[in-house]
Amino acid sequence: MGTTVTIEQNAEAAKACVESLNSRFSDAGVTAEAVAQTSGKKHEFVRIICSPSQLRAIAKFLKLEMGVNHCAMVTGTHFPEGSADRGWEVAYHLNRWPIANVEAHTMTVLKGEELKGDDIPMGFEIFIPLPAGDSPSVPTIQDIWEGADWNEKETWDLVGIDFEGHVNMHRVLNPHDSPVGFHPLQRQHKIRYHDFNEMYDDPQGFGRKPIDEGRVK
Amino acid sequence: MAEMWITMGPQHPMTHGLWTLRVKIDGETVTDTEAELGYIHRGVEKICEARDFTQITPYCDRLCYVSAMTWAHSYVMAAEDLLEAEVPERAEYIRLMAAEVQRLASHLMWLGAFGPDIGNLTLMTWCLRDREMFLDLLQELGGSRMHYNYPRIGGVKRDLPIGWANRLKAKVKLFENRINEYEMLLDESTIWLVRLQGVGYATAEDQLDAGVTGPNIRAAGVNTDTRWTNPYSVYDQVDWEPAVEKPTSVKGADCYDRYRVRMEEMRQSCRMLLDAIEKIPGGANTHYQPGDEMILTKAPTRAPEGATGFSTYECTRGVSNFYIQGGGDSRGKNPYRLSIRSPIFITIPYVAKTMIGYKVADIPAIMGSFDPCIGESDR
Repeated sequence: MGTTVTIEQNAEAAKACVESLNSRFSDAGVTAEAVAQTSGKKHEFVRIICSPSQLRAIAKFLKLEMGVNHCAMVTGTHFPEGSADRGWEVAYHLNRWPIANVEAHTMTVLKGEELKGDDIPMGFEIFIPLPAGDSPSVPTIQDIWEGADWNEKETWDLVGIDFEGHVNMHRVLNPHDSPVGFHPLQRQHKIRYHDFNEMYDDPQGFGRKPIDEGRVK
Repeated sequence: MAEMWITMGPQHPMTHGLWTLRVKIDGETVTDTEAELGYIHRGVEKICEARDFTQITPYCDRLCYVSAMTWAHSYVMAAEDLLEAEVPERAEYIRLMAAEVQRLASHLMWLGAFGPDIGNLTLMTWCLRDREMFLDLLQELGGSRMHYNYPRIGGVKRDLPIGWANRLKAKVKLFENRINEYEMLLDESTIWLVRLQGVGYATAEDQLDAGVTGPNIRAAGVNTDTRWTNPYSVYDQVDWEPAVEKPTSVKGADCYDRYRVRMEEMRQSCRMLLDAIEKIPGGANTHYQPGDEMILTKAPTRAPEGATGFSTYECTRGVSNFYIQGGGDSRGKNPYRLSIRSPIFITIPYVAKTMIGYKVADIPAIMGSFDPCIGESDR
């Protein structure tokens, strides 16, 4: 029978994480809550909402005090029609897994049901709303988790979120000579043409015209 | 001799896809590296913003042509979290079996491609021969050979065909013996051992900090696997143990350990499949019509603004995540933003650093042992 982390262990760990985060950061206006997934096993994860200036303090606290050892992904979102204080949003997804180096010719076989306290795996989600404007910016966490490095590069490349203090920022998915300020996942860029939803307006593609149509040659 | 930069790729047998590794060498020793990706960036995340939730599954199939089934499942799990859909237990078992058959096929493709990297061409023919058995099984489920579009939000497209379970059982039993054959071929081959042992050390903590996950971490002596740490599907009900390998040095796992852990993982997949056939609710040789509530529940098609969905899935190469925000175009039928974490996108820069200090001839061994797939990393 496969080992697993039970829902009781998960709830207990989520509660402990939320309490510890709230006792440390609630005065600063950071909210932390345990949220359950709505499908599957309905396990809980910790959702933190904070401002950009608080990010590094929270990240260091998570890494050093709570054993969060993996930065899974960094996602930027553009809300051009959003409110003035939420024109952009950055979401970090982090994980805590009980992983430690072992001696040569040994291995650690963990039993999910027997894990306790900070060893219980837990997911973390940090939302940072950013004010509307042309220069969304958050501090980098590249030096806290090395795994955030290319995630931040990707987020800057595709969405245009600026990571203050990020060393060696460069394009990773778009061509290296893309125009400065071109970040294709910003909402003003539409697929193929402006104001034209090819999937519904022209599913067969009959209406597509070559770019140089009508130009005198 | 002065140090110089050489460029490996985008067309190089080591790369397993289109990307470039720039290597600074001092004689035969690698002193610095730089990875360049993005050659086949298709903009899947942007395309998905103009598709509704059902239409996205085929795009996620095409993220990785070697392991399409696991990527589609990973997306569908995030969509279910967003749309609050429940999956029937029988469908969960079918999904587990589909994903594990895909894992076998994917690891075989990896092993088959890794063999010629090291100089063992026999291995490729053997692996592709056996992979065909599993692709045939997946073809019966999804209808096509590589891109299946099989999972649905709330279940699966079709039930297991009649007799599928028997064929699966016969093939898995045959394949378990074949794994032993591979090991006899490889573990006694001097070339294989000399090229892999003592090359490309990586410790568990370093790898995790750098974002590397999956079999590469388990090769370093820890049995962490999202199939039990972030449980999903019915992995807690079937008989298996996470594959784990004892690293051969305090410096962590070498290329040989990473090869060993994938062989063990194939054994565990076989074990899981044989057990799942016995335990599937409704019986493995019953066929429910498409859309039956045993295999598919009706899911909402629209997600409100502000709702988010997230999934953590053990893909064949590591942990894949999908993060979806609801409330997009077509009154919520499309996602507002869909973001993909590809394990290999994060792994490649780490592997590029791992190579520093080894010889140029070790680069294919180190790179291949981490199982790169450029389709998923460039998206």
